[in-house]
Amino acid sequence: MKKQSILAIGAAFGLLLFATQCDKNAPEAPSIEPYPETNLEASAGTWKTYMSIDDSKTVVPTPEAAGSSAYQAELTQLKSTMAGATAEQKELALFWGSNGVTRWHEIARELAANYNVPPNYNADGTYPAPDPANPTAYPRFPFANPPVASRMFALLGVAQYDALVACWKRKFEHNRLAPYKNASDIQPLIPTNDLPSYPSEDAVVAAASREILKFIFPGEVSYINDKAEEHKNSRLWAGANVQSDLSAGDSLGRIVAQYVINEWAKKDKMGQANNQAAYPNLKADANARGISVLWTSRDIPSRPPMLPFFGNVKTWNFDDATKIALRPPVPPQPGSAEFEAAMDELRDIAKNRTREQQRITAYWADGAGSYTPPGHWNRKACELILEKQFNEIRSARAMALVGTAVVDAGITCWDVKYYYLLPRPTEMDPDVTTGTGIPNFPAYTSGHSTFSGAAVEVLSYLFPDHKSELEAMAKEASESRIYGCIHYRFDCEVGLEVGKKVGEYAVTRGRNDGSE
Amino acid sequence: MLKKISTLLLGLSAGLSLSAQSPTDGLMMPQGQLCILGQYTNSQWENYWQGETKRSNSNLGKVSTQSAMVMGNYGITSNLNVMLGLPYVWTGSTQSYITGQKGLQDLSLFLKYQILERKALGGAFKIQTTGGLSTPVSNYTNDLMPFSIGLQSKTASLRGIVNYTADFGLYVTAEVGHTWRSNVTVDRDSYLFNNELVESDEMLVPNVLDYSARIGYIKSRFQAEVWYDAFTGLTGDDIRYNEAPQATNKMAAGQVGVFAKYFITKRFAPLASVSQVLSGRNAGESLTWAAGFTYFLDVNKKAEAAK
Repeated sequence: MKKQSILAIGAAFGLLLFATQCDKNAPEAPSIEPYPETNLEASAGTWKTYMSIDDSKTVVPTPEAAGSSAYQAELTQLKSTMAGATAEQKELALFWGSNGVTRWHEIARELAANYNVPPNYNADGTYPAPDPANPTAYPRFPFANPPVASRMFALLGVAQYDALVACWKRKFEHNRLAPYKNASDIQPLIPTNDLPSYPSEDAVVAAASREILKFIFPGEVSYINDKAEEHKNSRLWAGANVQSDLSAGDSLGRIVAQYVINEWAKKDKMGQANNQAAYPNLKADANARGISVLWTSRDIPSRPPMLPFFGNVKTWNFDDATKIALRPPVPPQPGSAEFEAAMDELRDIAKNRTREQQRITAYWADGAGSYTPPGHWNRKACELILEKQFNEIRSARAMALVGTAVVDAGITCWDVKYYYLLPRPTEMDPDVTTGTGIPNFPAYTSGHSTFSGAAVEVLSYLFPDHKSELEAMAKEASESRIYGCIHYRFDCEVGLEVGKKVGEYAVTRGRNDGSE
Repeated sequence: MLKKISTLLLGLSAGLSLSAQSPTDGLMMPQGQLCILGQYTNSQWENYWQGETKRSNSNLGKVSTQSAMVMGNYGITSNLNVMLGLPYVWTGSTQSYITGQKGLQDLSLFLKYQILERKALGGAFKIQTTGGLSTPVSNYTNDLMPFSIGLQSKTASLRGIVNYTADFGLYVTAEVGHTWRSNVTVDRDSYLFNNELVESDEMLVPNVLDYSARIGYIKSRFQAEVWYDAFTGLTGDDIRYNEAPQATNKMAAGQVGVFAKYFITKRFAPLASVSQVLSGRNAGESLTWAAGFTYFLDVNKKAEAAK
């Protein structure tokens, strides 16, 4: 009996341990195979750019001819580099070979998530502000909240796109073929194509992305430099570029990105977006317009509002007058029957929130420590780009269109938020408990809804066969804020509508950029 | 014989008495006897460890986890016991606006086997082993920490117990256990793990090592005990600065506690315990108290009587 029991127990444990042998590594991202370039886009050098940088600024040195000894020496060097590539370097050749543009947006999302940290309060109840002069000290600079992240994704997309347009122009001026077309004994690790290889589009993307990300994340300079070097070198390990292709591309990408930084990012009024000293003026203005119940922070201790003047930042796809025209009418005010009806819906959800409503709330929350709602749509855009196997310049065009639409949506929404200063539901009734954190800025209109409306308008234009799926996603993202009880229904419905209108401006740009 | 609950898997979310009445103690139920435990547990913390840094958060105030649990322990033989337990858990806080969570949590099953019993030194030495399984029984959210009522992880555990009980009633018990925990699915599909962005809804849940030492007195109607127990996640990351915990965190805590139980009748015994977390990592500095009762049924005798 005793022996039998021991055996039975032993067998039972054996089984259960086997059943729970689980992987203790984080899930691996699905690998993306490099895919062939099916359309060379020979006229992409004429596509309309955002910054209209003068051609004279993007000149590259005339490359050495294929038959020259200098180029032959480069080919010899390339063969030796390829022969010496380690297994890890060969993997990196495939990693970067899939799509350089989306790889950099992946890096940008990771940085955004890591820097999306609301500063903790000081002992005296004040909050420290990130210091651009000391970006690695706590709280690290920048606090990559949704507006900051949206601006960063747009700058990244624009710099990549404008630089690639210049790159394409030069490629088809110089028409240098890829190394494997000039030397039959070079067997590239990634699919071949007939695209001129000088300047290297990958070096352009690496350099442009590097410059933008270093500008946004000054505490990450060495990490970002390393990634750019890795990206450029991956082209040597892959056998896809010689060194002079890369050098010309690096220079070109850097010049265009620096132009974007100096002529846009340093002039777009982001520097004044967190002007807390002027915040009382916004409250006085709202009072003067007859709005009496104003938003207050739900954080304990009370936290200064997030970027009260982000609504003044320069938009990409329309002007300030259009932004004002997009401003929706005054929302239902506390005390009105319409407002109370919206509150009643939330009181009911707070009491009876279903598991599915909680799931939707959490799925779209993209709060602290996440890549933010703009990052969520950035990722969706990248996934669709990879599904459709866009080449580098088509990818950058898509990311610029989506990125600019989403930051424009953020700016338009922030303008509305601080124009009407509508309190959050929980402020009006503490029984409205929430399914996620309450963002530290006014309710009307919903940022998630505005971001999502804009993103989906552009993505539906770029990927029409995904239109219904995308629209369902935007609706769910918008409603997630009602289920979470951090927004009234009218915040979300109006936000989604305004977002779509914002997106239309980017679509109009897309239709007229010469790429269709 | 039943005893108090050791709080093995006290996460930040919990201070939960996840484990059953006595998978970690040195006592066995006689053959044919069934013991039913009913217990209310209240666990609260204001300070917690964000990684290894102790702090509080004025946006949470005091976080509480309460549970009501029923558990049965049956002596298949005097050397083999089976235990089955299920808690209902509810959470809340004094300051947060986030909705507290509630629901049936995880069903746990333990088999406890006495490998050896030897009379010696005016008492008895015993060596026992316990194997356990647990599985969530409701679709509670596991990613709204510290308000989630559990992690949704399926677990399997194995532990070894050494006990010496002197004939005059003093006893000492040492226990060590390992719990395997399955990875879980969360509602979001991207999160940071060790500062790296993971674009997936699958989260790693670290396995756990636990150990405890207890010294007590058990004689006729009365039992009392003091104990120290500790657990630690074997892998995992820390709570990010000023952010919420998540299932991937390496949680650890060590606590001391006292327990007492008194048989009012042969079958019915109220019991109470209190414990305090002294050290931790990604866990709350919980003060936990519990009150409940055990009730004994002699299943074999009833069966015989029915004949």
